[in-house]
Order: sequence, then structure tokens, then C-alpha cells
Amino acid sequence: MTTASTHAASAEVTPIDRQARGPLLLLLVLGVLWLVPSGIFALLASVQLHSPQFLTDCAWLTHGRLEALQETAFLYGWAANVGLAIALWVLARLGGYPLRALNWTVAGAIFWNLGLVGGLVGIATGDMTTFSFFQLPRYVQPLMVLAYAAMAISGVLAWSGRRTDSTFAAHWYAVAALFLFPWMFLATEVVLIWLPVRGTVQAIAAGWYAQGVWTLWLAPLALAGCYYIIPKVSGRVLSSYESAPLGFWCLLSVGAWTGGRHLIGGPVPAWIATMAVVTSALMLFHYLVVALNFRGVASAPGTGATFIRFGVSAYLLVGLLEVLTSFRAVALHTQFTFIATAQTQLGYYGAISMMFFGAVYYLVPRLAGRAWSSAGLVAGHRGLVMLGVVGSVAGLALAGFTQGAGLLQATVSQGSIFEGMRLPLLLNTCAQATLLVANLLLVVNLIRTIATCCTTVDAAAGLFRPAMNLEAPAL
Amino acid sequence: MKNGPLFLLGLLVTIAISFVGVVIGSHAQLGNLVPFYDDAEGQAFPQRPSGIAARGQLVYGDLGCASCHTQQVRRPDFGSDQARGWGDRQSVARDYIHQSRPQLGASRLGPDLKNFGARNPVVASELDILNLLFSGSARHPAYPFLFETRKVAGEVSAGSFLPAGKTLQSGFELVATERGRSLAAYLLSLTSGYDYPESKPVVLSKKVEGVK
Repeated sequence: MTTASTHAASAEVTPIDRQARGPLLLLLVLGVLWLVPSGIFALLASVQLHSPQFLTDCAWLTHGRLEALQETAFLYGWAANVGLAIALWVLARLGGYPLRALNWTVAGAIFWNLGLVGGLVGIATGDMTTFSFFQLPRYVQPLMVLAYAAMAISGVLAWSGRRTDSTFAAHWYAVAALFLFPWMFLATEVVLIWLPVRGTVQAIAAGWYAQGVWTLWLAPLALAGCYYIIPKVSGRVLSSYESAPLGFWCLLSVGAWTGGRHLIGGPVPAWIATMAVVTSALMLFHYLVVALNFRGVASAPGTGATFIRFGVSAYLLVGLLEVLTSFRAVALHTQFTFIATAQTQLGYYGAISMMFFGAVYYLVPRLAGRAWSSAGLVAGHRGLVMLGVVGSVAGLALAGFTQGAGLLQATVSQGSIFEGMRLPLLLNTCAQATLLVANLLLVVNLIRTIATCCTTVDAAAGLFRPAMNLEAPAL
Repeated sequence: MKNGPLFLLGLLVTIAISFVGVVIGSHAQLGNLVPFYDDAEGQAFPQRPSGIAARGQLVYGDLGCASCHTQQVRRPDFGSDQARGWGDRQSVARDYIHQSRPQLGASRLGPDLKNFGARNPVVASELDILNLLFSGSARHPAYPFLFETRKVAGEVSAGSFLPAGKTLQSGFELVATERGRSLAAYLLSLTSGYDYPESKPVVLSKKVEGVK
């Protein structure tokens, strides 16, 4: 057991961290705070799945709007804020100079989150676009792109003005996510909102965007953190690092083609689904490279490593499931069922969020210049969030199996399918409640840590020595 | 990857290729679909939705109905869509060309609605839909905000109804709001009765897959 992940010895807090403290902690706090509304929306939506009459009296609490609210708060609140903080910090550390243009980051963060609040109000009042993962109303979309660009500036500056000429895998992933998201968002906005394409091509474009959120934005952000943190916490160089560039370009060039697997059998050209089968299989190469590179985290100690280990395992599992469900014979059973929902939950909570949590546990002590204020809360969050993820994925998957088997047999009425799913969906509700409680623990711990850091600013960074009795147990 | 501009250019090229391939490619293939003119019937299909149905689609979208209902029937030998009476033929891209924002959906917690207005064997009436929307059922939420109770002015309105188990003060009537009526009209307008050349059910000797 080392002090690597929840504690930062004073020597580990560099001037780069101290200078970026305010803006990056702002992003982290905002991101973690978004987990609370997103968790509440998720819990309410989950209750409605087994008790349809729950809270449907007012229009903004219909299941469809709650789902849109939940995914929007989760993606653009939690994942975007925290992912950007991780990317900027990684780029600053690797660049070797303090971040520049941080006031742009702060301004961007403020407008991003204000825009998001406006967007959620819009969704609640019925202005959502109805495209999954792209639900933000059209009137906040330009603001979001500009705010994102403002936040990303300092990352791109840190990259282009780096101290050494050579680059590292964490560089590529971070820069790709910072640079590609606005392009992807704008391109989608053009073909879906400004000059909408016709008929089912809209569904194809929305599918391309939804897949891009995963392969061109959030997965690169999470991997950027992992590529930087895993060698640090494991104390070893990355194994098979020479294959990392191939893994990177594989994700970037092939990943976005795999979105068509959700449209199998639908009113779209058949090559969309065929392309998804081929590219999903090609993507196995990317997941193989990730598995080889991150082998070292298997035995790494500390809280951050525990989260990252969980996240990387889930990431690899998602890759395998993507291939499996892209086949028509399998999709016949899984399409339109909760199995797809379970996969999304595994991907965005089990993989991306867990890698983000790992990075948060590694980052905050270094940015704040002191250890997490409560090891108990760290352990509580870690236990509960893992329980919640496993529970919700298991519940949704079980419900999905029942649903998939039932839907295939025309003699099984929708009523009896619904009855069969009640128990697993209740399990999902319990798991969503667990996740909400877990994240409240993280919020409390983060606020307390930052509050104490701000009262004893730099003195703490200089005087702090890690105390073993504060260390959160690794497992 | 030391060369910054080249790296960024490479990133841009990867995203551009996938965008052009997936989105522009399918747009090139489907973007010019026109209604199919049937000489025998003397009219073109699909027909444009009525104004009230088009407004109803907006209600369907903004309430998020697509989170539990799909609107895409799969071909008869792929799943049980036909056997469930959801539609005798698969949905094809031409079915959607008049819809400003097709609601394909991705979850079948509820039934598919693509052919709701021409279900086999029984088509729901507007009253059935309004009853379900007002009272809900064991599996369907109630949306009372799509209705209003108002004082009868003169004669009872044509659209007023009384769901089972609901009592109203005398002199009052229950009617669907404009949004409620549009939604019901939209649902009833969802039909895919016409067989396009590309949507004929699968013939064993000549297997058709997807949309040609």
C-alpha cells in the first residue's frame, strides 16, 4: 500500500498544479455536483419503469423527458466537466508549463454550465430535440459549442507549447477529445437542426453522433487520464506501449462507424448495419491494445487504481459486447430491450465514469495540495458506487433477457413480459438509489476537502505529510 | 505525432471520413426518395399527414414517447412484429419522408406504433386512445395534463368523454386539450398500409434485406 492515489506528498504537488488549482477544481466540483440531479432523474425514471403511474401528473416528469434530462445532465454535466478537467490537467503536466488562458477556461465553464441549466429547463418544458444523447434544445446548442471551445483553448495551448517535442499517448487522446467534440457537435447540428436531412437519415446521423460521444469524446477523455495515471500508480512503464498509436488511430478512425448496430433491421440501408458488424470487429484491436497497455493497473495499489481497474475491465467488456450485439442473429434478441440499456449503463457508468472517478481521486489531492478529508467517505463511495453499477447493469440485463425472449414469441403478451421484468427493474431502482447515495458521499468529501484546502492554502501544500492512518484502504 | 498541425489534420480527416461515409453516404442514397405514384389508385404514397397529425407528432416527440415505443416494424422473418399484429410488412425509408422528425425509437417497453392506425385485427378508436391517455393502465402512465375539465357552455362538446370510474360535477365536462387531440390524431394517422415495390414481404426465392 502506498500513498500514491489518495494522498499527495508535498513533493508531488508541482507549481503547475497550484497554478491550475482554481479553474480545475471548479470544473471538478461542477461535474461532481451534476451527479446529484442526474442521479435523482435516473432514480425517478427507474421507478417509472416498474410503476408507470409514478409522478406522471405533470408533463415535465413523463418518462421520456426524465430520461432526456438524466442523460443530458450526466453527459454534459458530469462527464463533460470532469473529463475536461482531467484532459487539461494531463496536458499541463505533460506540457511541463503551467496552463495558460485559464480565464477562458473559467468563463467557458460558467457558460457551459449555465447553458446546460437552460437546456435542462428547455427539455423539461418540451423543447428537446428527441435525438438520443443530442437532446439539448436548439437554442442552447451554439452557446455550448462556444463555451466548450473556450474551455479547450488552454489545453490546446498547453499541447502546442509543450516543453518536449515528443508526445505521449495521454496527449493524443486528450487533444483528440478537446478538438473533435466541437466539430462533431456542429456537424450534427447542421444535419439535424439547421438543414435537417430527410426521413430516416436523421436516425442515422443521430446514431453517428451518439457513437461519436463514446468513441471520439468520452472514451478518449477517460483513456487520456488512464494513460497518464496508470504508470504513476503502478510505478511501471506501460507494457506494449509501442502499439498505443495503432490503438489510438483504430479508435478514432473506425469507432464512429459502429453506431449502425442499433439500426439493424430498421428502415435504413442494409450496409449501415453491415458496416457496424465489420467495424465493431475491427475495434477489437483497439480494445486489445488498451488491455495490453493497461496490464500494469491490475496490481496497482490505491483508491484511484481500484476505480481505474474497474473502469478498464468494464471498458473491455463493453468492447466485446458491442461486437456480439452487432450480429443480426444476436440483435434479434437484444434489440429494443433493456439489454441495450444495460450496455449503455455499463459503458457510461461502469467504464467511463469509473475511470473518471479514479482520475478524480488521483487529481484532487494534487490540485488541492492536501489529502481527501475523509478516508471513510472515500471507502464508502467506492463500495457503494461499485455495488450500484453492478446492481443496475445486472438488473437491466436480467430484465432485458426476459424482455428479449418474450418479445420474440408473439404468444407472450406485453403484459406478461412486463410482469416478468418487474423484479429485475426493482433491483435497478435499488441500484440507482445506491449510486445516488454514493455520489452524495463524494460531493460531501470533495467540498470538505476543498474547503479545508482553501482555508490553509499553500501552507498545507508545504507542510503536509501523508499520514498512514488517513489512507483509504485499497480494496 | 510530433507535428501539431499534421496531427490535428489527421484527427479532422478521421472524423470527416466517418461523417461523409455514414451520414452523407446514406443521405445520398435516401435523401432523394420521392413518394411512389400508384397509377391504379391514381395517387401517391405515403400521403402527407394532416395538419393536426403533424402537430401531434410534435407532442409525441416532446413528451418523449419514443423512449418506450418504437416506430419501425421489422420484416416478418426477423422477430415477431408481424405475428403481434404490428404490421404486415417491414417499414422502409419511404414511409418516413413526410415526417419532419421521424421517431424510430430504440426501446420496446410498449408496443410498436408504426402501423397503429391500421392495426390488425382491431384498430383502436380515438376514444380508446383518450381513455388510455387520461387514466393510464397497469403498464401505461396516465397523462392528465393533456385534458381539461371545464364548465359546459351551452351544449356538451362533441369531444367530451367520461372514463370508467370517473365522476364529474354536474355541469362540467372532460375534454382533451388541443395537444391531447393532436396526439390522438397523430397516432391514428400512423399507417403503413401501402406496399411499395421495395417493401413487399420477403419472397423466399429472392431474399430482400433492408432497403434497396
